[in-house]
Amino acid sequence: MGKENPAAEKASNLLRSRLCDPNFVVKHLSDSPDSNYSSVTEACNNSILLLGPRGSGKIAVLELILTDLLLEYPDTISVIKLNGLLHSDDCCAFKEIARQLCMEHQLLFSKMASFDDNSQFMIEMLRECGLAHKTIIFVLDEFDLFAQGKQRLLYSLLDAMQSVTSQAVVIGVSCRLDADQLLEKRVRSRFSHRKLLFLPPSKEDMQRLLEHILSLPVDSSLPHAYAVEFNKKIKNILADGRFKEIVNTLVNLDSTVNHLLRFLFLAVSYMDLESGFLSFENFKTALSNSHRQPKLECIKDCSILELYILVCMKRLEVKEQNSYNFNSVMKEYKSIHDSFQTSDYYSRNVCLRAFEHLLQRELICFTDNRGYSQSVEFRPVKLLISSIELHQGLKSYCSCPVILLKLVER
Amino acid sequence: MPAIASHNSIMAVKLENAGEVARSNGGSTPQKRRLRSDAAAVENMSPISTPMKLKSPRRCANSSPNSGANGIEMEINEKLMSARKSPVKKKLCDSFKSKPNWNPQDVEQMSAVREALHVSTAPSTIVCREDEQKKVLEFCKKNLEEEKAGSLYVCGCPGTGKSLSMEKVQHYLVDWAKEAGLQQPEVFSINCTSLTNTSEIFSKILLKLQPRKKLNGSTSPLQYLQNLYSQKLHSSVMKMMLIIADELDYLITRDRAVLHDLFMLTTFPFSRFILIGIANAIDLADRFLPRLQSMNCKPLVVTFRAYSKDQIIRILQERLMELPYIVFQPQALELCARKVAAASGDMRKALSVCRSAIEILEAEMRESVSKMNSASAEQGLFDQQAASAFEFFNSQANNFFLLLVRVDHMAVALSNTFKSPVVDTIKSLPQHQQILLCSAVKFFRGGKKDMTVGELNKSYMNICKTSVIPPVGTLEFFSMCRVLHDQGILKVGQSRDDKLKRVTLKADESDVTFALQGVRFFRNCLQ
Repeated sequence: MGKENPAAEKASNLLRSRLCDPNFVVKHLSDSPDSNYSSVTEACNNSILLLGPRGSGKIAVLELILTDLLLEYPDTISVIKLNGLLHSDDCCAFKEIARQLCMEHQLLFSKMASFDDNSQFMIEMLRECGLAHKTIIFVLDEFDLFAQGKQRLLYSLLDAMQSVTSQAVVIGVSCRLDADQLLEKRVRSRFSHRKLLFLPPSKEDMQRLLEHILSLPVDSSLPHAYAVEFNKKIKNILADGRFKEIVNTLVNLDSTVNHLLRFLFLAVSYMDLESGFLSFENFKTALSNSHRQPKLECIKDCSILELYILVCMKRLEVKEQNSYNFNSVMKEYKSIHDSFQTSDYYSRNVCLRAFEHLLQRELICFTDNRGYSQSVEFRPVKLLISSIELHQGLKSYCSCPVILLKLVER
Repeated sequence: MPAIASHNSIMAVKLENAGEVARSNGGSTPQKRRLRSDAAAVENMSPISTPMKLKSPRRCANSSPNSGANGIEMEINEKLMSARKSPVKKKLCDSFKSKPNWNPQDVEQMSAVREALHVSTAPSTIVCREDEQKKVLEFCKKNLEEEKAGSLYVCGCPGTGKSLSMEKVQHYLVDWAKEAGLQQPEVFSINCTSLTNTSEIFSKILLKLQPRKKLNGSTSPLQYLQNLYSQKLHSSVMKMMLIIADELDYLITRDRAVLHDLFMLTTFPFSRFILIGIANAIDLADRFLPRLQSMNCKPLVVTFRAYSKDQIIRILQERLMELPYIVFQPQALELCARKVAAASGDMRKALSVCRSAIEILEAEMRESVSKMNSASAEQGLFDQQAASAFEFFNSQANNFFLLLVRVDHMAVALSNTFKSPVVDTIKSLPQHQQILLCSAVKFFRGGKKDMTVGELNKSYMNICKTSVIPPVGTLEFFSMCRVLHDQGILKVGQSRDDKLKRVTLKADESDVTFALQGVRFFRNCLQ
């Protein structure tokens, strides 16, 4: 056992670092947009929009391509990155562009430069770089946020690409599918209408990706026999029908690659370091932990009296009493006790304490924000959990009184 | 080409056919012969007109593997016949007679073609805009001769050649003034988006007019200009100035003062401006400059209409004329022009579509080359006959239409440009999000305008109950709504309570129905 421990730890570390590194995943999946390459090599201006839901790897693919390009053509590319959340105001955006250009070319940047100066500077830099055959790549993250307001930045960037003297590429990244409909018509006319859609991977791709990520490299510093055994076990798990069901449940909710990676990370963290192998139970625990239901967990911690109070409030709601307060809940509680002769009947003060507990745990809350002068008993309250959640919580509560279940089911 | 490469027998037959055709046509270069016979065949068969079908040439080639010597000729005639006849095509055919096809694998040719089709290369002569340019030129010439001030407003949709034409007019005017012996006008061209403050335009004009003038604090540039033009000064001091203001609607402020003052500057008694404003709105002059009309100094309006199909084809041809080889099949150009003219008449779009069609052709060639390489590697041995045939085909590659940008490439490029990604995205959404969308569509079909997230949740759970799919919890439901909101398919409003946020459907209902029709469950659900 002692010998396997370091290997297992190493394996787990390796897998975890793989899952955190977007490049590893993306390299396996991607087919890179070649238009970027052509713009650099043939010196023609281009613009492109990358669209796709959040977490589908758009920025990861972009980073991959940029690093490749920088390796291939080290001196002829400069990259300017802007983010719509930070720089959606035109003045800010131009300032940031000027600052990044200054940093790239080791010029001094003055914070006092006006909007005019900054835009002039950008246009001149574009011209200079065009003459020197250097390409400037503008990456606009959260592209749809740039399309608010007067769209001056977008217009000037796209207009600059219409002139022969500049050599630039504008790459917009957005999660809104109609990002190009948000543009004004003259800006849209200058945009070259290329869109790249990032769709979630198909089932076969997903299968291949899982295998690729979870298989240990056979010829690394890990002991050979261990790695081979590990890979064999992984193959068995992946082929298992129950595992496919787990992946299906996961994918039916959110099919982006990011979501899948987070699930895998959880599973790897649960790996049993003693045996050093991933097992099917790890994945099951990971699934249940990634789909947490905080309100259900809250209910599990409630006392029986608190459950009674919740059920009373539910019954009041079902009776279509729109607003009720602690006093009405108490009345209902008493009526239940009278009709069913339950053994759990507590005094009013104890109930009030339980009520306050529920308020603190945010299972119920006040409906009005005023009325601090009134005492707790008179303010209207409402439930913060749905009937289904209450039902599920009661069912999974150990030693729940049968009467409560009956009352809720009615 | 990979299809051909894998059938040795077909290749052998084709070799014979090609050779026979060459021999029967008198031994001149096969390529020229074939094209002339095609043109002749088209003229012969013109009374028969079939509707335009998009048949891929590869299919044509395989459809009659054992036909006789006229097999290839017949197939090519079929292809040409299936396109609709138009007068433009005859001209294209004539121009094609003398040029070879291009070789897309040649990097230089590819970059030359790309450059010719790029938006930034301004052609030396601007076609299809002669009327408008003449109008503007006449106006400017008249004003220059009489040394009068005047204003002109150029309007039109984006991508119709306004800024380009104005640049040409500017050059013509300066040259003409030189030839006619008049004083050369100053030219000041500005794009109004580069102004931080709209009234800066006056200081810029002043800077250009009198570079060394320093104003004291009390007079603004506008006032100075107004004073200047109210008095008569020596004409040698005051040159005529041509101002071209692009994107004029950026000057529109709440009180519309700047735009008004700019145009009013031309109405002063001793003003020396010829102002040309460029914008998109047709009625800008009427809406924002009402006072000018009462003074009888309304600017002359020149409208640049959107390009028609024939104009687009002509412009594309002009650009491609300079290249010594053919790149596009004529039907492909026509399809592109037709579609773009019907949509917006925007020339930039047409150029962009052509460029992406070239890229599709490039990608296809690369794929076929790699497939061929892998196929040959798999086979291991290559027949002697096949090898020589292959070389023959490679050398004669120019003859085949397979290397031109064809109609199917153009169709793919057009669908990429014009299609919205919504349908594809909805098809690839995870299942629960699709159910959510389905329930939203069903709800809104009832005619209601919006709903809350809580109601949507209920409707979603009903659908899940009917189909025995376990619904997701409330937290996940809220995050799914948020994800769909981020993507622009739903719109979720703001509220303190998550359940009370208002939800509206942004994607079109028919798009959702179309996207989900492949799954029987959703089809039944949405009936």
